[in-house]
Amino acid sequence: MFNLPTTNIGGQELFVLEFGDIVNYFSPYTAVLFVFALLFTALAIVSRPERQVDIAFGGDAYYAKEVDPNLLRFQRFMAIACGLATLGAMVSGDVFNFTLFASMVGITNIGIVAAYRNRHVLNAAFQYGIVAMLATVPLFGGAAIVLASTGTLSMWELFTDGVAVPLIAKAFLVLGVMGEGMAPFYVAKAEITRAQGAPFILMVHVSSLLLFLRVIEIVISM
Amino acid sequence: MDVAYPAGLLVVAIGIVIGFAALVREKDDLHRILLTDLAEVLALVLIALVATDLAEALILPGLVVGISELMAVSEVYIAREGLRAPKEPAFRIEVMESAPGILALILVAYGIFLSGFTGGVVAAAGAVFYFICRGHAEQFELIETVSGYAWAIWIGAFFIFMFLPQYWFFAVMMAGGAILLKVMAKMSLVGTMRGGPDV
Repeated sequence: MFNLPTTNIGGQELFVLEFGDIVNYFSPYTAVLFVFALLFTALAIVSRPERQVDIAFGGDAYYAKEVDPNLLRFQRFMAIACGLATLGAMVSGDVFNFTLFASMVGITNIGIVAAYRNRHVLNAAFQYGIVAMLATVPLFGGAAIVLASTGTLSMWELFTDGVAVPLIAKAFLVLGVMGEGMAPFYVAKAEITRAQGAPFILMVHVSSLLLFLRVIEIVISM
Repeated sequence: MDVAYPAGLLVVAIGIVIGFAALVREKDDLHRILLTDLAEVLALVLIALVATDLAEALILPGLVVGISELMAVSEVYIAREGLRAPKEPAFRIEVMESAPGILALILVAYGIFLSGFTGGVVAAAGAVFYFICRGHAEQFELIETVSGYAWAIWIGAFFIFMFLPQYWFFAVMMAGGAILLKVMAKMSLVGTMRGGPDV
């Protein structure tokens, strides 16, 4: 009943889950991304980074780091939520759902980064939060323009040849995802990759990478 | 639609340019949060311009995302600046002690009369005003509970639409009442932004 209109980008559909007119699906491409996200979500669930140790360079000494379990719990929760949002964005067959999942990834990324109480890190998280908030304008704007110009948000309709999506809507979608997935670039500046709970920072990178890959697939297919 | 949509798009485009230019020029971080929230309203306006029932349904998640991002960034700002809630009320305005009861009552009653999304917004304006003026030590938990039940009723109404379509009128009434409560609960969060023990 459901056949992906364009098979040369994502491949044939493997599995289709139908909720009314919102039809989620796996193609080989999105299935790979889904499995990747699932793997890292599982890592965030099972990893126990409470015992973190720094080796002093050039000697036998090491420092055991002081870790606040409450902050770590919050960070782990945010990392898992971020993983779930990424999973949703990977399987979504509806443009607006995709934008909602993308902005949820943005919010949870703010949470992961902001869990570390350091002035520099909080400053970076604040700047990133402003960017993520601003990115919702092109993100939702792109979805709204898609809806206004084609009358549908379902990717099953949008991927067909007969439906022309304006270039500005595609550009807005990409711009919005760029804003929401901005976190790794701020993290690179902050000291956070060496801070406590660093394994959860991985989730920021994974979610942003997967969001970019997915939005490129959507934009090319439309 | 033919003239109104491009004209509206033009107005929104001008608004986005003004908003982003203001953000580039503004250096104070608190003002930048406020400006970002104003810019976010433009995203809702873009959705609202489509002017279909589907677009109306899409505004609510857009609003929720906007509010939650605003709250997250505000929390980061509070943590970064090390701000603490003042012990005493920051200002005393006579009307804020006498008006909230009656005004909130009128707005909430009128909102219930309107029902649905619009009613939710009107009733929420009453709730926001009440919480801003009177504080919200105990009511917050109640609102969360009500919001949860409203969500369940809303989903229930969708199940009626799907499985028992002949009772659609009942489902419309359920969904209308539930969305009223839901929008009201979501928006009254704005009224709690002055902070407090339970937030």
